[in-house]
Parts: sequence; C-alpha cells; structure tokens
Amino acid sequence: MLSYSFMQNAFIVSLFIAVLCPSIGIFLVLRRYSMIGDTLSHASLAGITIGLVFEQNPVVGAFVFTSLAGALIEFLRSYFKKNTDLILSIVLALCVGTAITIISSGRLHANADSFLFGSILTVTRFDTLMVIILSVISVLALLLLYHQLVYIAYDEEAARIAGVKVRLLNYVFSILVASAISVTLRIVGVLVISSMIALPVAAALQLGRGFKTTLVFSVIFSVVDIMLGLVLSYYLGVAPGGFTALVSVAVLVLVIIAKSIIKKAKTPKKQGVVAS
Amino acid sequence: MIRAENLHFSYTGAAPYILKGLSLHVAKGEYVSVVGDNGSGKSTLVKLILKLLRPSGGSIETAASRPGYVPQRYEAGHSGFPITVYEMLDSYRHLLKLKDREIIKESLDQVGLSAYAGALMGTLSGGQSQKILIARALMGNPELLILDEPSTGVDAGSQKEIYGIIKELNKSKGITIISVEHNLLAAVSNSTLIYHLAGGHGHMCTPEQYAAEYTGIEYRDIDGKEG
Repeated sequence: MLSYSFMQNAFIVSLFIAVLCPSIGIFLVLRRYSMIGDTLSHASLAGITIGLVFEQNPVVGAFVFTSLAGALIEFLRSYFKKNTDLILSIVLALCVGTAITIISSGRLHANADSFLFGSILTVTRFDTLMVIILSVISVLALLLLYHQLVYIAYDEEAARIAGVKVRLLNYVFSILVASAISVTLRIVGVLVISSMIALPVAAALQLGRGFKTTLVFSVIFSVVDIMLGLVLSYYLGVAPGGFTALVSVAVLVLVIIAKSIIKKAKTPKKQGVVAS
Repeated sequence: MIRAENLHFSYTGAAPYILKGLSLHVAKGEYVSVVGDNGSGKSTLVKLILKLLRPSGGSIETAASRPGYVPQRYEAGHSGFPITVYEMLDSYRHLLKLKDREIIKESLDQVGLSAYAGALMGTLSGGQSQKILIARALMGNPELLILDEPSTGVDAGSQKEIYGIIKELNKSKGITIISVEHNLLAAVSNSTLIYHLAGGHGHMCTPEQYAAEYTGIEYRDIDGKEG
C-alpha cells in the first residue's frame, strides 16, 4: 500500500490533519460552536468551485473563501446579537448558494465530486506541501495564542478584563478554522469535515480530564480515527472521508462504553438489607 | 478610587436609560456594597467600572489600572469545561503577563484551597468555585476588587468564609471592595458604605442608615430569607 506515491502523500496529509483538526476543534466544541465547522466546510465547497472556475488550486480557493466566511460570521455576531442562531443560516445560504450556482452553470473546468466525498488519488505533491505549510503555521499560531484562546473559550469576560483583544483573536481563530478545513477537504471531503473537528474531541471529553490532557487525547483519537479510516477505506475500496467519519463514531461509542464499564466496576456494590 | 459623574447608560445609547445621572465617589480602602432590586442596574454599574461597557453619557473613572473581578459563579465557564484549577489560574497568569508561577500557590493559599490545584473546576462546590474565582482575581495584586453577588448559590457556611476572606483583604491589605449584593444582611454586616440603586438613581449611605431606612417588615423579610 505504501509503495504507491499517492498513498504516501495521503498518509503525510492525514497525519497533519489528525493533529490540526482536533487542536482547532477543541476550542470550537468548548465554545459550543461545533456547527460553525459544518457551515465553514460548506463555505469551502464554494471556495473550491471558485478556484476551479478560475483554474486555480481549489485548496487555495477553499482557504481564502472559508477565511472570508469565518470573518463574516464574526462580523455578523455583533450585528445579530439577539439572534445568533440566524448567523449560520445566513452564511450557509450564501456559501451553498454560491457553490450550487457555479456547479450548475457548467463552467467548472474539473469535477468537484472528489471534494465532496474525499479522495486519496487527488492529493498532489503541491497539496501535500501546502497542507504541511498551513498546518505548521496554524499549530504555531495555536501555541502562541494558547492561553488567550483557552480563556476566550472558558470565560470571555475575564479575558476581556485581563486585556485580551477578544474580537481580533476571534478573527484570527476564524482563519485557523479555515486553514484546518482547507487542509482536510482533499482526503476527508467537504461533507464530513466537521466530524474530524468535533468527534475526536467528543471522545476525549469522556475521559473527564484537564484541558491539556483532553487536547492530547483528542489528537490521539484523531490519529487513530483517520489512520484506521484511511487504511480500511483503501482495502474496502470506499471513499476515505465517509469511512473515517464512521470510524470516528465507532471510537466515540467504544470510549463511552469503556467509561461506563469502568464506572460500574468502581462503584461499590450495594450491601443487602437483612430483615430483622 | 472610583469617580462617576452624571453617569447615564442604556444598551441603545439613548433613552430610556438604565442608569440616570449617577454620581459615585469611592475612596481607597472602602468596602462598598451595591444593592438594589433586580434590574436596577447593579451589574451594569460594575461592567461600567470594569470598562466592559461604555457610558451613554457622563463619565466614570477608576484609579486602579487592572481591577480584580469575581463574576457571578454561573457566568464563569460551564461545568462541562475540562479545565483544572491550576490550568485555569496558570492561563490567567499568562494573560496578566506575570512570570512567577508561585503566584498561583500564593493566591490559592489566601483562600485556603491549595489542595485543590489539580481538581477540575466543574467538580467543585459552589463555595469552592467562588473562592477559586477570588484567588484568580487576587493574582494581579489588585488595589480594587469587584465582586458580583459573591454568595449566590453558596451554602451558609461557605458564605461566612467568603465574607471573612473579603473583609480580611479589605482590612489587612487595604484593598478597595465593590460588591454587588442581593444578600442585604451581608451588605449591612460587612461593608463600610452601601450604594443603593433604585429607578436608575443611586445614593450612598452608611450600613446603619441603610438598616434604619429598611427596618421593619422589609428587613425582617430579608433576614428571614437568609436565615
């Protein structure tokens, strides 16, 4: 399997995805913004189609358009303060509308289907290089902004009082989310990107540990999910995106079952009441 | 320490105002309880002092560069957030750009919860959470400590401990205290001054004056609720 260069590219890209997605995802999940990942993955589809129309690299198109959509969500948050649930609907309408209009116009110079479901064959050397660059920059940015992002997620008001520029960091974070989605879409596909962002974090949260431990386990679960998904989908001849999503759900279920068994084992058995 | 003149505020920036021309002078070392009915603007006043909100009119100035703030317990994080006491304080230390990690232990010592550094925030009791939030607020050695309903959701024993800590900080360290209170008994017993907000207006009085003004049935009712 590893003798094929496309599989080598796929494994390299997957490893970076496995680190980046939950590192971003933990902040999205804990801010209860998991659905933003879903909305932005649809934004990436619009970016892909724009990239293909202009005969540019679709990953670059996805990154630019998804960043803009993330910034738009942040901008609308101050406008729709009392109806924040509307924001995602508005951005989703804009993004899906753009994508469908372009696809149905027949002006695409390539097939966008592989981006919907994910494909190992379409990962080029240029994509691999871009994924590495975007991932390294994003992880460095996360390390640099770690404490600010933790506090914005945990207690935004306290972060403001401590002098954190919350609004600016929210825009920066939108770009980081866009980056994670752009690097993920080649392999996993637009439709299940949000599962890569949220599910490993959901599994790690079951362990009931502190932030750093939860983050480390999110990455471990993510590596397991995506590597198993990639290998098994290769042998089964199915799209890696869909199968990785299924593996993610299976791992989450297993963790929940294991947690429940351990909890039961730790609970002292009830003493029988002796009738007098 | 705090000076407000003709302070007006509404969320739209225009009438009707929540705060209608408040004047407030708080000297260094005072312990002021801010009291009033729900919706009278107590928490809004605190957010104006903290510069989280901008006045719609008039002015408010604070001498302390970075006041310590203890929010209502339910507003700080959520119980499912996976963060230990140490991680929460350590990240805050980074935000305040404090280099010495010892400050975490010192602030936990001040509230008597050093043993809980490794505990998850979501597993603490109401009283413990409140004390940890006080420890966080003390990390920058603030001259001004602002608390928003410190006894909400806290059992009677922990309330006594929390007010003991606050009084000690005020008396021995000279930290100016502004405490939004729904617990009028605590306000009368602990503070040096009481700022009463009603109908968008406020007036400062001594605890004795306040107790006299709210004697009889109202005071006994509140006493009864707390009792």
